[in-house]
Amino acid sequence: MRYDVIVVGAGPAGSVTARFAAKRGAKVLLLERRAEIGIPVLCGEGVSQRIDKWNILESKNWIANKLDGAKIFSPDGTKVTLSKEMAGNETGYVIYRDVFDKELAHLAGKAGAEVMLRSEVIGLVKEGDKIKGVKVRRMKEDFEIEADIVVGADGVESKIGRWAGIDTTVKPNDLETCVQYTFSNVDYPTDYGEFYLGKKIAPGGYIWVFPKGDGVFNVGIGILANFSKPGLALKLLNAFIEKKLPDFKKGIPLRLLAGAVPVAKPVETVRDNLLLVGDAARHADPITGGGITTSLEGGRIAGEVIGDAVEKQRFDRERLAEYEKRWKEAFGQKLLRNYMVKEIMLDFDDKTLNMLADSLKDYSFEEFSTLSLLKALVLKHPTLLMKLKPLIKLSEKKMEKKI
Amino acid sequence: MVKHKAKVDERECLSCGGCISVCPVDAVFMKNLRAFVDQSLCIGCSICVNTCPIGAISLEE
Repeated sequence: MRYDVIVVGAGPAGSVTARFAAKRGAKVLLLERRAEIGIPVLCGEGVSQRIDKWNILESKNWIANKLDGAKIFSPDGTKVTLSKEMAGNETGYVIYRDVFDKELAHLAGKAGAEVMLRSEVIGLVKEGDKIKGVKVRRMKEDFEIEADIVVGADGVESKIGRWAGIDTTVKPNDLETCVQYTFSNVDYPTDYGEFYLGKKIAPGGYIWVFPKGDGVFNVGIGILANFSKPGLALKLLNAFIEKKLPDFKKGIPLRLLAGAVPVAKPVETVRDNLLLVGDAARHADPITGGGITTSLEGGRIAGEVIGDAVEKQRFDRERLAEYEKRWKEAFGQKLLRNYMVKEIMLDFDDKTLNMLADSLKDYSFEEFSTLSLLKALVLKHPTLLMKLKPLIKLSEKKMEKKI
Repeated sequence: MVKHKAKVDERECLSCGGCISVCPVDAVFMKNLRAFVDQSLCIGCSICVNTCPIGAISLEE
């Protein structure tokens, strides 16, 4: 068997990469180790409404609910509100990630990619140092598939990068370790996403509440792994529900899931005959932990660059570096900025968080984004957040250039 | 001194992959869609043990 491109992992980044490469005429194989795409869900299921503009999805079946905004609670309960009225009506969706992933894989297939389930990649095929394809285990049978390009879309636990010699090990201070319940039958009338901050509530992370509509909610926690002890994330979430979210105690638990989100600096994403996309490339926002938008944007860029590479029959690192250049232009600055913000925020104690929240409790934000939150913070606390100031400027300059 | 090695309780594992991503010696991987520690490579550093959000990994002799 031989393909131009093998994409390992049919999550959003993999499926979008496969689709845009296939669309440009490449012969693409999309491999998924699971028996069902999108299952198990490993996600908080919140995403910015910005993705509407990209026309990457065709249906609306994956939308569970549209948020009215976000409420952020500091440790003492002070509330900062970002509502749709002040944010130009664009907020976020709560999604069905399994439906979302299936649609993206479907669209990859429709564009011409071949999709293969229950196919686990157990190694790279190499000739000397040169990557020639992948070793696959499928229903107890091991075999090799050749390709000019291998794409690692194999998630936070990516092995493809490591096998290719890229050090993708995530440091515990760069990983959010998460658990989440989905409850039904909850009498908690809100369509706002809620975020709870505090060193005791969720050290180095936050607790979230995402309404999926009809009394169904995702309630989850992410904590930084270097503050974690065995099972601490689940213990903290249970304790918070017990103490602060009594309405959820009466809910019916339909799902418990665990997750891990890289909140790291992006790694090297290109080698000869190889690219990394999505969580494998550490393309997740270090502040929010969101990775869907960057996976879609990055996947599309990867697919287009691969399409060109196949057309020109050039698979060397220099050629593929176009991908790295373009994702850095699209969202690299933002990831780097938010990484630095994450590092600065880790130094804030609960008292500081309360003070910051108090100063923003009546603030009118210009849009529904972390950037608008950061801008407001810098404006209100120029000295405290001195280190943030140049970072915010940096990204504004970037935006001006784009316009 | 007794050497300790990490072990995943496969009945508990929810396969989030966090332990795999933080392992400094690449000793953890997915086996039958659950995390699995190759004990011949494990150095007993306990990073994966602490990372697990549901406490499904422990150090064993």
